[in-house]
Amino acid sequence: MTTLPFGPRDRELDPLLAKAADLPKDIAPPRDLWPAIAARLTATPQRAGLRALGWPAALAAGFLVASVSALLTWGLMREPDRAADSELAGSVATVPAIMPVNYGPHSALGVNDLATRDQLLVQFRQRLDELSPQTREAVVKNLAIIQRAADEIDAALAQDPASGLLNELLLGAYKQELQLYSKVVTSGGDSTRRT
Amino acid sequence: MPGDRVTNLASAMESSADLVARACRGDVEAFEALYRGHVGRVYGLCLRMTGQPEAAEDLTQDTFVNAWKSLPGYEGRSSFSTWLHRIAVNAVLAQRRRPQGRNEISLTDDTGEQMDFAEEPAMDAATPIDLEKAIAALPPGARDIVVLYGIYGYSHEEAASMLGLAVGTCKAQLHRARHLMRAHMKPEAAS
Repeated sequence: MTTLPFGPRDRELDPLLAKAADLPKDIAPPRDLWPAIAARLTATPQRAGLRALGWPAALAAGFLVASVSALLTWGLMREPDRAADSELAGSVATVPAIMPVNYGPHSALGVNDLATRDQLLVQFRQRLDELSPQTREAVVKNLAIIQRAADEIDAALAQDPASGLLNELLLGAYKQELQLYSKVVTSGGDSTRRT
Repeated sequence: MPGDRVTNLASAMESSADLVARACRGDVEAFEALYRGHVGRVYGLCLRMTGQPEAAEDLTQDTFVNAWKSLPGYEGRSSFSTWLHRIAVNAVLAQRRRPQGRNEISLTDDTGEQMDFAEEPAMDAATPIDLEKAIAALPPGARDIVVLYGIYGYSHEEAASMLGLAVGTCKAQLHRARHLMRAHMKPEAAS
């Protein structure tokens, strides 16, 4: 088998790559594409102020956050399945620990916002032992979704800290976290309790 | 004279920045000038990534329309050309993901059988047209990295970012591509 040089100088060392680098960069299209493009531009408004290309992941994560709580709602609202709960009760230790969302250094959340979250978190933790393993797992999954969104949005905010939309997305993630805790705190509880 | 060249270059850069600024404000004439200046590179990139002239034309159009829509978000962190290339690569990748997308270069024959590189006539690496053919015959992942890294001179990091891949994956694809191209060409010509 042929051994090819590989490394930072492979462009210089590999004659094929060297020839590839010499290929013309420009290739003229066989016809003028501008008239068709111009026709489409008139029907295409520019996205004023929207800096979407810099943070598609943050946008995607923001939209994903909107799906948070579906799993939890299912867990809270489902009919009690005591047999299944009994079987699963012993496996509660396998459910990962529940950690609050870390919003990162570029978040515009203030001390008061985090204090509010922490107050709710105390009440949430008091209810935690009453949750069935499935509901606990749903909480963990939802928090993981919010954490991922917060990370993506924070990374995008590092590049574009003034973006109103990014800050709105971050606020949305924060609100979802509060709603998640609130839902558990205010739930009736019967269907969520372990037997 | 060197001084004139520097002046011309500075003038051209200023002119390009001015065109971008005007296009950002919705000036279609400025955007047409940008199109004229960049269409060859964008079409070349799309053609090499897809191997299909018609698809490349459509994707070039999509690229400029998407660029027009997104121009207010262009902040000049990268050159306008690089920014445009990112949009073009996104357009190509999006087209590939479409279930009813325009056909790529196929590595299977009409009966669906995998084509054997070894049965293809060997090509002479000395002529660019044959190198273009060898690149076009590569599987899409390997071809993408040869086009971006090999032809257009992007670093592995830049190419990986454009393609949404890990840097290591890009390097592995390039290594694979080099082996495939070598196998496709006369050994003596490629060495």
